[in-house]
Amino acid sequence: MQLGRVHLNLVAAGSLLLTICGYSASSQPKEVSRHPTAEPASSLSRNAPLGLIDIQPGDLLQKRVADNWTSYNGDYSGRRFSSLTQITPANVSRLTVQWVFHPRTVSPLEATPLVVAGILFVTSANDVYALDAKTGKILWRHLREVTRGLVDDAAMHHNRGVAILGTRIYMETDNAHLLCLDARSGGLIWEVPYATGNRNYGATSAPLIVKDKVVVGSSGGDDGVRGFIAAFDATTGEEKWRFWTIPGPSEKGNQSWPGDAYLHGGGTAWLPGTFDSDLDTLFWGTGNPAPDYDGSGRPGDDLYTSCLLALDPDTGKLKWYFQFSPHDLYDYDAVQTPVIVDAEFHGKPRKLIVTANRNGFLYILDRTDGKFLFAKQFARQLNWAKGIDSSGRPISAGLIPNENGIKICPANGGATNWYSPSYDPKTHLFYFRSYEACALFRSQPASFVEGNTYYATGAQVTGDSGKGYINAFNLDTLDFAWHDLQYGYNKGWGGVMSTATDLVAFGDDGENFVVADGRTGKPLWHFHVGQLIHASPMSYGIGGKQYFAVAAGSDLFSFALP
Amino acid sequence: MRHDRVEIAMIFCAALAFGVAQSGAQQQRSDRDEGAQRFMEFCASCHGADGKGGDKAPALVSPSSALPLSDSELFRIVRDGTRGGMPPFAQIGDANIHGVVQYLRLLQGEAAPASASTDVEVTGDADAGRTLFFGKAQCSVCHSMRGEGGFIARGLTFYGRYRTPDAVRRSITNPDTPLVPSSRMVSVTTRAGQKLTGVLRNEDNFTLELQTEDGRYHSLERSNLIEVHYTDRSLMPRDFAQRLTAKELDDIVSFLIVSSRNPRTNVDQDH
Repeated sequence: MQLGRVHLNLVAAGSLLLTICGYSASSQPKEVSRHPTAEPASSLSRNAPLGLIDIQPGDLLQKRVADNWTSYNGDYSGRRFSSLTQITPANVSRLTVQWVFHPRTVSPLEATPLVVAGILFVTSANDVYALDAKTGKILWRHLREVTRGLVDDAAMHHNRGVAILGTRIYMETDNAHLLCLDARSGGLIWEVPYATGNRNYGATSAPLIVKDKVVVGSSGGDDGVRGFIAAFDATTGEEKWRFWTIPGPSEKGNQSWPGDAYLHGGGTAWLPGTFDSDLDTLFWGTGNPAPDYDGSGRPGDDLYTSCLLALDPDTGKLKWYFQFSPHDLYDYDAVQTPVIVDAEFHGKPRKLIVTANRNGFLYILDRTDGKFLFAKQFARQLNWAKGIDSSGRPISAGLIPNENGIKICPANGGATNWYSPSYDPKTHLFYFRSYEACALFRSQPASFVEGNTYYATGAQVTGDSGKGYINAFNLDTLDFAWHDLQYGYNKGWGGVMSTATDLVAFGDDGENFVVADGRTGKPLWHFHVGQLIHASPMSYGIGGKQYFAVAAGSDLFSFALP
Repeated sequence: MRHDRVEIAMIFCAALAFGVAQSGAQQQRSDRDEGAQRFMEFCASCHGADGKGGDKAPALVSPSSALPLSDSELFRIVRDGTRGGMPPFAQIGDANIHGVVQYLRLLQGEAAPASASTDVEVTGDADAGRTLFFGKAQCSVCHSMRGEGGFIARGLTFYGRYRTPDAVRRSITNPDTPLVPSSRMVSVTTRAGQKLTGVLRNEDNFTLELQTEDGRYHSLERSNLIEVHYTDRSLMPRDFAQRLTAKELDDIVSFLIVSSRNPRTNVDQDH
């Protein structure tokens, strides 16, 4: 018997061994259950020892984001709000860099790292790293070469990070393969190519775990793919459902897509969505229609592009939708995080979605049924619409890109973009970065060709380079509390996060990571990271010590009090 | 995937025991160790200790990189450098250049560029090998094959892809030739008297990160340790040549090579 043989060899090796093995045996960690236990999720998280990774569905449902940051936005609400309180306005000026991590990289990094039990997970292109979150040192890495022959955003091999469930990590490769790795070793468990049939598919996002499923989208929306949101069994990788954002023949909304236009309609879902477990609803934004600037082949509203979708997480069935920019001609994606907010609206407690859209308007919707409640223009320059009507539909100014070019504001990059917003439930402030610019939009008919983009010519930013702002919108007053103009030569692409001590953190336009007073916008501390921050910050804790981490350029920085 | 705690504990003990008791290495092992030392000295700081690359230099172990090159082409590159920015290493001498090339082959898997595993003949029974892998030989306690099995040791889904049967057999019967740094076993004692034995995943002058058999990572301040004992081995038992018959070994080798031929994925390696 095997055991007997090993015993024999041990004895043969001498008495010293028994002593050593005695020590070893006594140091064996206590038995840890590998299966979901009956313990309440909150106590499980508190008692979980550092360095031991086993995330239960209950952990992901936690509304208090503290030591662990278990998904792209911290939790399912998408509000990127940390409940940690060690760092305050009074002591934040003493923040100091703890470590820097430099992956084998495609710069700039766009990932938000996850931290679980003191282990940090971050991606760079198709590489995944597990780091000691205290020291920044590598515990394991899973490497894969970038894919050649991709188009547009995927060809830049950006990756926004991983998802975690149990002892497994999930990520999307640049060529839209969903990988399941063992979080303890980086070993590959399974791999599923999930966007086939069109070479222009790619992926740049982080997956989202919902119950027992991994939910993903794709990139390629400006390159003539058919957008979708898909869910896979987290254990086996089996596809469970797929919602096509462009309806096919005989499906509702197909009138906008004559012939086989639906196959190239865009509407990709390229950012993680949010999830309300009480309503059992998944909220996910979709991208703009394709071809971007030429709407002649896609008459009508072009459902479900530039929409917020409410889906049943178990079946993928559509519960409701809200379209921000019907028949969009300006590349106004609507993938921006649909932040889940419970707040009073006009004096009544309500379940809301708050989101700042690329089209230059901030929206408040009722998330139980998608009812439009409120919109406010935040872009200082805006000419594509005359306003939003009482149903939430924009009143179009009728500006159509043509071959001479027509000036449209906001520019094609949008009045805001994928950089993360944040909501502070104590101050009721909704924070987001915005960008002021106009562009000359040109359009020329184009055919779909695999391997080429499908913008139908393009836009170029006009006049002065734009201005960036960090904004704070007050849900109580339904007006802006402050705007912070960003000075600097670069256009910042970093998002915002907020904390329970009324701090707000973001990357500015001058290659600084900034922590500011959330109530006023006054900067309290900054560090010059020396590279463009093209990602959104997060916060985590280890043994009572709070950290901020942000990917900047080709490096990941971590900060804490001395 | 039953993870047998008691067996693992015994393997840990055995590993530690053999680490302490091991006498001088065989000549073959010491040659390989030489090449490994030189690789660490001259190559690892840019190409990574595992040859997987870093920010300064590319990976050398994937099929799209140095793997298809011949030994003599590799020798020339190391000696003369490249136009892409790799400096020449002629000054380390021909013997050392050969040494690092051979070590690189070990990292890549010893296969002549022309022969992918589809051409390699296996003589054993791969199905019987599978049964052994997940059964009597207990490989799956530590290793995984296509996601099934343990995680503490490297995954083996692709291990057989570019390796000859002889190379695979040797890696079972004569492991740690050379020892991959991130699989080294270590045991420590903290000031508080806690003793930990695990795989040393990283270390520097200030901290040490080890992983115990339950998968848990321990981040330890060196200043908080009163003893750090490094072994010269990984978790892998060294007595498989005695534990398994020649046929059983052959079957397991065949299983590893055959399994690597039809992966569901196109990733180059498990890690």
